[in-house]
Amino acid sequence: MAGKRHVILGSGTAGLNAIRTLRQLGDDGPIVLVSAEAPYSRMVLPYYLARRITEPHVTTATGRQLDEWGVERQIGRRAEGLDTQAAKLRLDNGEDVAYDDLLIATGSSALRPPIPGAEHARCFNFWTLDDAKGVSKTISPDAHVVMVGAGFISFTILNGILERAGRLTIVEVAPRILPRMIDDAGAALVTDWLIERGVTIRAGAEITRIAEQGQGLRLTFAEGDSIDADLVLMATGIRPNLGWLDGSGIETNQGILVDEYLRSNVDNVYAAGDVAEGRNRVTGAREVHAIEPTAMEHGRIAAANMAGKKIAYPGSLLMNIVSAAGLDMASFGSWDDDGAEVIAAQAPARRAYRKYLFRGGRMVGAILIESAGETWSGNDVGMLKGLVQSGVDLSAWKSHLAERPFEIKKPYLATGTTARLLPETIIGQPSPAM
Amino acid sequence: MKVLSISPERCTGCMRCELACAYMQSGAYQPAKSVIRVAPLEMHTSYAPFTCFQCDEGWCMTACPVDAIAISAVGAKIVSDDQCVGCKLCTIACPYGTIFYDEDTHKATKCDLCGGDPACVEACPTQAIEWVEGDAADWLGEFAARRAGTDLTGLAAVE
Amino acid sequence: MSEQAPPGYAGKILRVNLTTGQSWTEELSHEEWRTYLGGVGLGAKILYDEVPPEVEWDHPDNRLIMATGPLAGLPVWGTGGLTVVTRGPMTGGATSTQANGFFGACLKYSGYDTIVLQGQSEKWVYVYIHDNVVEMRDAAHLLGKDTWETQEALQDELGYNGHRLSVYTSGVAGENLVRFAAIHGDFGHVASKNGCGAVMGVKRVKAVAIVRGSKALHPHDPKGLLQAADVIAHELKTNPSSSVLYNYGTLFGVVNLNKLGALPIRNYTTNLPPKEADMSVWEAQSLREGFDHRGHQCNACGMHHCHQHVIAEGKHKGEIVDEPEYEGWSGAGWTIGSFDPQDTSWMNTQVDRACVDVNEFGWVMGWTMECYEKGYITQEQLGGIDLKWGDVEAANALLQKIVHREGIGDLLAEGVMRASQKLGGEAADCAVYSHKGNSPRGHDHRARWEELLDTCVASAGTLETGPPAEPQELGRPARINPFDAPEVARNVGQLLGRRHFEDSLGACIFTTRTTIQNICLALNAATGWDYTVDEAMRLGRRTAALLRAFNIRCGIGPEVEKPSKRYGSVPTDGPAEGQNAMEHWEEMLDIYYELAGLDRATGKPTAEHLNNLGLENVAKEMWG
Repeated sequence: MAGKRHVILGSGTAGLNAIRTLRQLGDDGPIVLVSAEAPYSRMVLPYYLARRITEPHVTTATGRQLDEWGVERQIGRRAEGLDTQAAKLRLDNGEDVAYDDLLIATGSSALRPPIPGAEHARCFNFWTLDDAKGVSKTISPDAHVVMVGAGFISFTILNGILERAGRLTIVEVAPRILPRMIDDAGAALVTDWLIERGVTIRAGAEITRIAEQGQGLRLTFAEGDSIDADLVLMATGIRPNLGWLDGSGIETNQGILVDEYLRSNVDNVYAAGDVAEGRNRVTGAREVHAIEPTAMEHGRIAAANMAGKKIAYPGSLLMNIVSAAGLDMASFGSWDDDGAEVIAAQAPARRAYRKYLFRGGRMVGAILIESAGETWSGNDVGMLKGLVQSGVDLSAWKSHLAERPFEIKKPYLATGTTARLLPETIIGQPSPAM
Repeated sequence: MKVLSISPERCTGCMRCELACAYMQSGAYQPAKSVIRVAPLEMHTSYAPFTCFQCDEGWCMTACPVDAIAISAVGAKIVSDDQCVGCKLCTIACPYGTIFYDEDTHKATKCDLCGGDPACVEACPTQAIEWVEGDAADWLGEFAARRAGTDLTGLAAVE
Repeated sequence: MSEQAPPGYAGKILRVNLTTGQSWTEELSHEEWRTYLGGVGLGAKILYDEVPPEVEWDHPDNRLIMATGPLAGLPVWGTGGLTVVTRGPMTGGATSTQANGFFGACLKYSGYDTIVLQGQSEKWVYVYIHDNVVEMRDAAHLLGKDTWETQEALQDELGYNGHRLSVYTSGVAGENLVRFAAIHGDFGHVASKNGCGAVMGVKRVKAVAIVRGSKALHPHDPKGLLQAADVIAHELKTNPSSSVLYNYGTLFGVVNLNKLGALPIRNYTTNLPPKEADMSVWEAQSLREGFDHRGHQCNACGMHHCHQHVIAEGKHKGEIVDEPEYEGWSGAGWTIGSFDPQDTSWMNTQVDRACVDVNEFGWVMGWTMECYEKGYITQEQLGGIDLKWGDVEAANALLQKIVHREGIGDLLAEGVMRASQKLGGEAADCAVYSHKGNSPRGHDHRARWEELLDTCVASAGTLETGPPAEPQELGRPARINPFDAPEVARNVGQLLGRRHFEDSLGACIFTTRTTIQNICLALNAATGWDYTVDEAMRLGRRTAALLRAFNIRCGIGPEVEKPSKRYGSVPTDGPAEGQNAMEHWEEMLDIYYELAGLDRATGKPTAEHLNNLGLENVAKEMWG
């Protein structure tokens, strides 16, 4: 007996991981992939911009691979509506696609700030492969690039810009850079680092107008002054692609509300990735975690459940790492929890920063900043993830960490973190090769 | 499947495994390239080596956005340099802290079990690292809990 | 790595001028590296060339050379080697003193083979080295910290623990220019001779901190190097003369030396252990297993030698200390009348933490205890300390006075030769020292004439030939009668140089206790050279000649080549009772001088000897 007919909507990380997982788990039901774009990895676009890799390397599943998986494709199509009663998806060409179960993995879109002139051809988002191609084509070695928005996305392409443009200015409306990834002290350290490397940073600054100026653009600030740019990159936020679900009866908040099986309020409709609002592993609250690892885990868990495995998800762990101009910065979990007990320290000689946040004995969040060339901190990044993920009791070790904040390995090992982690797998069995 | 089994009581902190590992990784004696790392677990003493468990989940492998990590014939999660773009996602996905980023090559780097003949095992003069049939386990937890107690209680306060 | 570096080398000498705050690197040609190797071989050359006689030990222009060598950082056992070469305050002459641990390995991974500290900083600094970053950083916050505290503070401050950071410091003793201050690092390794720590203090360098750097070492034949390491390791494990060291380091020393009458008990006043001393607890195995112990080996070393252990009972129960070497059991124990391993082990680490040479500590403390017992020094003079034999708490109290130069500590901080000469009278006759200023090692050399002679004639600030390893390779018998004066002198004279070769490699002399031929296998695999026993000995003899010429130029001649009254006395009990070395002294000197290529009248290396070694410039300077 053939398995259920699975429709996967979206070919990003969540969607593709779902397809792969269905097949890895032996589900031989028909799979239909509906996607506006061909499968590629958003995560690696910065390396495309930096010309470390070329376009084919960005692709995550070739036609051959999809054929091997037996995936029927509707590439270049968007969903326009969902009829959960009839179990049918309405596409933008008017066609209906029937499903036994559906995974919504439509991801999110970059927002354009409502600044007059922001639609100019020399203003780019850096979100899709097409965006990346546009930027890559336009950028030149003597260009002055202005990045509007100093968040994670901007920072992922900072190296590429520095390699391919003449000058970089970062403008952020918040009082400091990386407001949603690291704290004030960390941001100060990163700011100094970048300024030393020739980057101009203007935080707490609002752009009110963008206008053509000669070959380039002129950006005017609320304060009245202005700067000229050859190219403007907009990275001021993203929004889950939910609008098409209006009236479908799928419950949404910031994203599609899903339970521990990544199921929406409709039994045979699942959601995963940027579009899903699922459990936060640390706090238990439901949140959208628009990050790559969450998309991967969501996709795999949803698929396992679509394959009938009944796998519960402990929740996603917020985590980010970005390396800019030779400085690594990473944050985990509730790194911005105002109610948490905090241990923070710097090693100025090393330009290193650590921040640990505790609720009781549990580390609920952490920030690490370190020179990328700092070999010996290598274990720390992952170990911090392990501490937050495992939730081991560090009560006895807090004073040690306060005294020796760079000595993470001892508490990590002495609290049996490894033993706690080793049995854990995402879909309840060892992962097969990818 | 064979695994690297660690007996921390035997480790003297000579770092010979780091040298051997570095040589396998980079062709030079350059401990910065080692993916086995030896650290003290009791003040400045009670050293033990720590490296990848080749865990069941393979957090690095499942996190990789370009499928650059595969499973080798001997069960090691191995990085394909051609595929890896150096995005570091694996380094935050691995909860053991045992996959690294090499600033020189711009690639992730981790224990590959030397293709089935681990150099650290050969290098260890006290058999603190062995290559045996079995399952990965928390080799260091109990040892660390016992020895690292000194760090918590301070000197002369062990009673 | 330097373009010109021979394989296995980092290829750079790091110069740090503390007066100007500048640092720079120098490179040598392949031929120069081959000629001087590293360690004392290179250090002696720099010292001779750059420190003229008017630059006394405490002159800013004195050099503190912290050298490693071609094998450091490579997977040959015991290759973290540090050799300190300087003009030191105990003898006023040359110094070659070693520590192991990880200094040499960290230094080479950061890209340097040798550091030369010169000049004098205005403020206290520590020298921070991490790859290309070399900085003189403010050390005000480290002042007053002992060696362990200094290491801990720097580890915490820099965020590196364990062997990620190798810190060598002269502790509080160095700050206060204690004449027998040492340089200690890696929690248990000490370059301790000739007051090298005081030279560091003069330069106002509290510590040298080296991060385990990120650079690569490329030996010529990596596979061959591993094979050579394997050959040497197998030798060390299986050769009866080294296998005891392999298993227990120097722990067997106490019991074995006691059987020969060479264990110094209560400042050479006896060679019979007191009845209350239970010799069974002093067996090597008991000393190891009697403590909860942890292996604590040096770079790439497979020996079961260096350990840390936990004090098992008494006031300091639970403290982690460094398992003493034989020298520690002796200097911090038997010499000062402590016959309890727990007490002695604790005392030994206090000596390391305070940062003085444990041998000289023994001679100073033993002498003071004897003087106190005999009434030559009063409790009042000791600032109220009741300094009874074997009381390690009292000894530690006095040690703290010494390293802070408080009260009588100021006198004792000059070492026992100067302190006893100053005090004079009967007390002066009780002191154990050589007139040259070389502190005797922790044996009773009245039953070990080779070391008695070696200590008195050596130009390295300590003994120079050392106990023979594989003497047959150099034409000497495997064993000699220890009281056969001519044979003793022949050993010291003819084997001179081997030790300098070993101390030029960046390796440990316990892991080079094999044939020179075997060592050359490793050296040649590392460098691609074809070193032979002859070339190795030529390097060693040249180094010895340079050190000797340096000392002669500093005015240190044959007149001081004799033991103090007590040091050269005749044992009155024990296995060596009645053996009188001084009866044979001149005869031994005659033979030694002849074999070492020295002029009997002046002590200078002969012109012929110097010319044969390619030291024509030195011959010219010595002889015109």
